[in-house]
Amino acid sequence: MGWFIVKRLTSLIPIVLGISFITFILIYLIPGDPAVAYLRMSNIPPTDEAVTALRVELGLNEPLYIQYLEWLGKVLQLDLGMSYVSKNAVWDEILLHLFPTIQLTGASLIFIVVISLPIGIISAIYKGKFVDQFSRIVAFVSVSMPSFWFGFLLIYLLSVKLDLFPVLGRGTLAHLVLPSLTLAFGYIGTYMRLLRASMLENLNEPFVMYARARGLRQRLIVSRHVLKKSLLPVITGLGMSLGNMLGGAVIVETIFAWPGMGQLFVTSILNQDYPMIQGCVLFMSVIFVVCNLLVDIMYSFLDPRIRWEGEK
Amino acid sequence: MLLKRSNLFRSFVGLLVMFTIFVAGCSNTTKDQENASDKEKTKVVTFSWPGDIGDLNPHTYFPNEFFSQAMVYEPLVYYGEGGEIQPWLAESWDISKDGKEYVFHLRKDVQFSDGSPFNAEIVKKNFDTVLDNRKQHEWVELINQIKSTEVVDEYTFKLTLNNSYYPTLQELTYVRPLRFVGEAAFPDSQNTFKDGLKSPIGTGPWVLTEYKKNEFAVFERNEQYWDTKPKVDKVVVKVITDGESRVLAFEKKELDFIFGNGVISQDSFQFLKNSGKYETKLSEPTATRTLLFNTNNEATKDRKVRLALNHAFNKQAVIDNIFYGMEEKADTLFPPVLDYTKINVDPYEYDAAKAEQLLDEAGWKKVEGKPFREKDGKELQLELLFNSTDNIQKSIAEFVQGDFRKLGIDIKLISQETNTFWTTAFEGKYDLLFTSTWAVPFDPHSYLAAITTDSENGSPDYTALLGLPKKKELDQKIKKVLLTTDEKERKMLYTDILTTLHEQAVYLPISYQSNVAVYHKNISGVDFLPQEVEVPLTSIDVK
Repeated sequence: MGWFIVKRLTSLIPIVLGISFITFILIYLIPGDPAVAYLRMSNIPPTDEAVTALRVELGLNEPLYIQYLEWLGKVLQLDLGMSYVSKNAVWDEILLHLFPTIQLTGASLIFIVVISLPIGIISAIYKGKFVDQFSRIVAFVSVSMPSFWFGFLLIYLLSVKLDLFPVLGRGTLAHLVLPSLTLAFGYIGTYMRLLRASMLENLNEPFVMYARARGLRQRLIVSRHVLKKSLLPVITGLGMSLGNMLGGAVIVETIFAWPGMGQLFVTSILNQDYPMIQGCVLFMSVIFVVCNLLVDIMYSFLDPRIRWEGEK
Repeated sequence: MLLKRSNLFRSFVGLLVMFTIFVAGCSNTTKDQENASDKEKTKVVTFSWPGDIGDLNPHTYFPNEFFSQAMVYEPLVYYGEGGEIQPWLAESWDISKDGKEYVFHLRKDVQFSDGSPFNAEIVKKNFDTVLDNRKQHEWVELINQIKSTEVVDEYTFKLTLNNSYYPTLQELTYVRPLRFVGEAAFPDSQNTFKDGLKSPIGTGPWVLTEYKKNEFAVFERNEQYWDTKPKVDKVVVKVITDGESRVLAFEKKELDFIFGNGVISQDSFQFLKNSGKYETKLSEPTATRTLLFNTNNEATKDRKVRLALNHAFNKQAVIDNIFYGMEEKADTLFPPVLDYTKINVDPYEYDAAKAEQLLDEAGWKKVEGKPFREKDGKELQLELLFNSTDNIQKSIAEFVQGDFRKLGIDIKLISQETNTFWTTAFEGKYDLLFTSTWAVPFDPHSYLAAITTDSENGSPDYTALLGLPKKKELDQKIKKVLLTTDEKERKMLYTDILTTLHEQAVYLPISYQSNVAVYHKNISGVDFLPQEVEVPLTSIDVK
């Protein structure tokens, strides 16, 4: 097991290096000049002299590979540079906005797991029955309803009309419910149906027949054998979604005035705040890679075959 | 039941409990209760703003907001009702006969919020740091005109100008950059423009006490304030970017009032008004919503095309359908009620036939079987740039697109967020730009002065008008009108300038805009202030 993790971790190094290089290059593909953007943000007219002087100061006159290596060296020390707009360290800004996003993502995950797993299991067992039909409708609504509309509906009904939750902003636990439910809603339908399909497939496997032949009760077969195996695709999906959600849910964050990563990223792009954009992209990519790693590790827990393959 | 005794069920529950604890741990459940008991003792009003309040530095621009700067910092003189200049931090002033020397007698009972004294010394220091960065404030002509600043005695400050400049007092009322921070606010370099402030210390009625970037800001009443103190103890400004979310938060009573221009859509305003549950108010016309033509581009360079579009625009339909009749139709760049802005010209009335005729004359002809007019094989396509965060510009832009299509003009809508919008606007990458004048006290003189300067903090109109044949002459006249001491000549020059702008049809004025206010019935004192950008927080009270 330990060997498996070490192996996966070492394979991350080239991936992360690759990401860092692409992130760095991306900035040069965005139209516009970082030096001009910096001057604009600082309310300094971007005259030719000012731009030239600043290019030297920011090291933008060096060859690209030297710039990259210098930048990489700083990144390794967790120094992502300074925001052009707020003049704070990029890393501090990210940390400031990361926490609300983790909160939102965590709560959304609860909603996804708590709602979609039971319904998925039940609709697989009672295939074609009322529960299954109902879950199908829920799934359709969930994947096709845009989150901004669902968010407003929730606010209007649960907050303005029934006065159960605050409309927006951060603060108490109650503030968290509506945005996280809105964010979760789009995923719920997917996972519900994904689990159902995967369960149905596995229910027809020979090992289920064998277990029945051994006289095991249906309950035990489903919970101990089928479910465990059926969770694999769901976990892969959740790992991806987790990466997505941690990257920030721009629309949900805008509706609910939730100051998370999504808002930070979008404002940085709008402000042409180059170091901030670079920092955000790099950070999100790393989060994504780490989420995938975690999924892989969980996989090997659930399915020993993967673990054995790794140790061969 | 089905999964009752299984391991998976147990781990599932475990996960659930873990997350719940985690999330509960993240948040502060007692905060609301505290706030509730707080509210009984202290009076709090909450409102929202589309963006962060910025770094509260009166000597800089982006990302500062006018309203928050005006809450903390004060001017020497105040722009009062009807443009009357009132004493403020200066209780009186003398102007020399040649109009070049201004001596201000400062109030003696003013303190900064940190208790430090307000005197001529600190006034000079603030002036000097602004003057050190003259280039950045080019759009304020006064800054270019200041020759020297001088401390006469502890409470007397003297300003000497290069020329007699008639809007001097008016420009001193501006929210930025000539307002005052306390000694302790200055950075080590003393350059507030480059290095920002150590902390926001002003003389104004409000003090910033709590601030979470992009979330909220809390201002408390300045207990040492020299003038009438605000009626409420605290103002909470929440950052809400979305207009519809703002309306819902207001309905839920999480906001006490909505105030400003373009902060909610006209539909929402109408909905809130018709519900009868809230108080609504509309201010007198402040600034002009207008389209600006880029005179450097092929189609819009032609005066006939500009005239055609002026005649093709059905303003009344926009006012009736988008503004529900709440705004007044605009015929000239500035509302005629301002000083010097009443000019005698024929408005460009809506006349589709005339517009078609003008387009034909300009060489843009209809082609059989094609939806758009063409000239030398090129389609008549115009890019209309507007600000996507303004809830009203979008509705009008879409209306224009549909209306102009009937005449064979293809309007391509380009919507950008505030910052990118301004960058593109300054670069002149558009045919039509959605803009507005600056309202009093800036209109008309500062708005016109900005047309003549190619400055970052000026206006995009400078670049847009470069294609005019008489641009240089126009600029010279604007510069002259600001310095003339002869009232008669000034009037004549203004008439001349505004008539030229009207005849050249470089603007397409739509309507005179108003501020809106919507508030709950337990709130009082939501009155519009003479300066459009100020929010009436000192007069607001909660029952």
